[in-house]
Order: sequence, then C-alpha cells, then structure tokens
Amino acid sequence: MLVLTRKPDQSIMVGEDIEITILEVRGEQVRIGIQAPKSVMIHRKEVYEQIEEENRSAIISNPDVLPNLDDLVTKKRAENPV
Amino acid sequence: MITTNLEREMKVNTSRFGEISVEEPLIITLPDGMIGFEDCKRFVVLHQDPKNPLKWFQSLDDGALAFPIINPWDFKKDYSLSISDADADFLHMDEDTPKIVFVVVTVPRNNPAAMTANLLGPIVINPLRKIGKQVVLSDERYTTRHSIMEEIHMRSNR
Repeated sequence: MLVLTRKPDQSIMVGEDIEITILEVRGEQVRIGIQAPKSVMIHRKEVYEQIEEENRSAIISNPDVLPNLDDLVTKKRAENPV
Repeated sequence: MITTNLEREMKVNTSRFGEISVEEPLIITLPDGMIGFEDCKRFVVLHQDPKNPLKWFQSLDDGALAFPIINPWDFKKDYSLSISDADADFLHMDEDTPKIVFVVVTVPRNNPAAMTANLLGPIVINPLRKIGKQVVLSDERYTTRHSIMEEIHMRSNR
C-alpha cells in the first residue's frame, strides 16, 4: 500500500481525473473531498461490507416457505390492537 | 395447427422448487452478481404464493442459492433511491427507462415477524434489457436491517 502524508487542503491525484482532497481533520475524523468522473463508483467500504453480510444472513436464515406477509400483519394487529 | 416453441428454456435443479425450467425472456442477468456472490449472475423471480409480496430471487447458476425479496414500495411507500450515473450507465438506463426494484429480505426462521429488509443494497433491474445490479446507496436514512413489520404497523397507525 502506498502511504502518503497530507495536510488539510492538500490533494492526491489518482490517475489523471481523480482528485482526493483532505478538507478537514478534527480529532478522529477526517473529511475528504473526492472529485472523479461520474462513471467512477465511490462508496463507504463498510456499507458494502454490511450489504454483503446481510446477503449472507438472508440466505442462511431463510425458511423453505416464505411467510405470508398479510397473515403476519393480521396476526400482529390482533396482538396489538390500535 | 403447428406450434413451435422457439423460446429457449433453461432447466435448473433448485433446492426449494425442485427442477424448474425457465424461459429465456424471464432470465435476469446481473453481470456483477449479488454482492458477496459474484459468481452467480443469472436469476429468476419466483413466488410460492402469487398474492404474497415476498418472492424469491432464485439463482440459476446455483440451485441452492435464493434470496427472499420484496418490492420496497409494498411496505414503505416513501422509499426513494437515487441511482448514481455510474450505475445508470451500467444498466443502460436513463430517466425514462422503466425500472424494477427489489430489496433483499432476511426472514428469521423461528420469528418471521422480525423480518428485515436491506434498504441500502436494492436490486435494480432494467426490464427492457433484462439486466440488473445490486447497487450500493449512500443514504443515511436507511439501514441494511429495516424492520418490515414495524414499518407496516407505523403506517397503519398514522
């Protein structure tokens, strides 16, 4: 992994058209600005990991027959009348 | 009258539905697969009860792999998603392209009422091209474990 030290307002270029700027450093938090072509996908890594984890639990926990949503709603209403 | 079936069918052995044969126009291709399951690229939407909004997103590459799914607007009317330009390009979509959206549901086997929906990783499908993608949203309003029953109950109490 390439490691660089940067100060606020300094940037890093990745290739010719991706610019990553350190906007602010406050305690444990770093605000980062990213300028990139619209075709480049950018997202927080932990969201990607959460989705992967949720995909796994969706296939692990699921029953063989899906419950009927309407029946569950009716049952829940009977238990908690409005 | 002579009828010919020119549509090609694909036979797959599934763990829940036994052997199924799927007509080619019903096959949805996810070129990137589902997140964490990148090798499974072809899917079909199956239901056990047509009146139940919960359906299966059945992999055709792995018969044992199926995700419970739901149309998010079936339980959360105000769900909104903004698809990035990169994802729109990937799906060959513009503003006028119809789109089908499903979210993956986790149904705890022993407590189905605690089912949750992953609102951050919807499956977006371009029905004209039969291609889809599980997109990653950066939307702080949503989580990967949104309670479906609480959402329905909250709405009915309004």
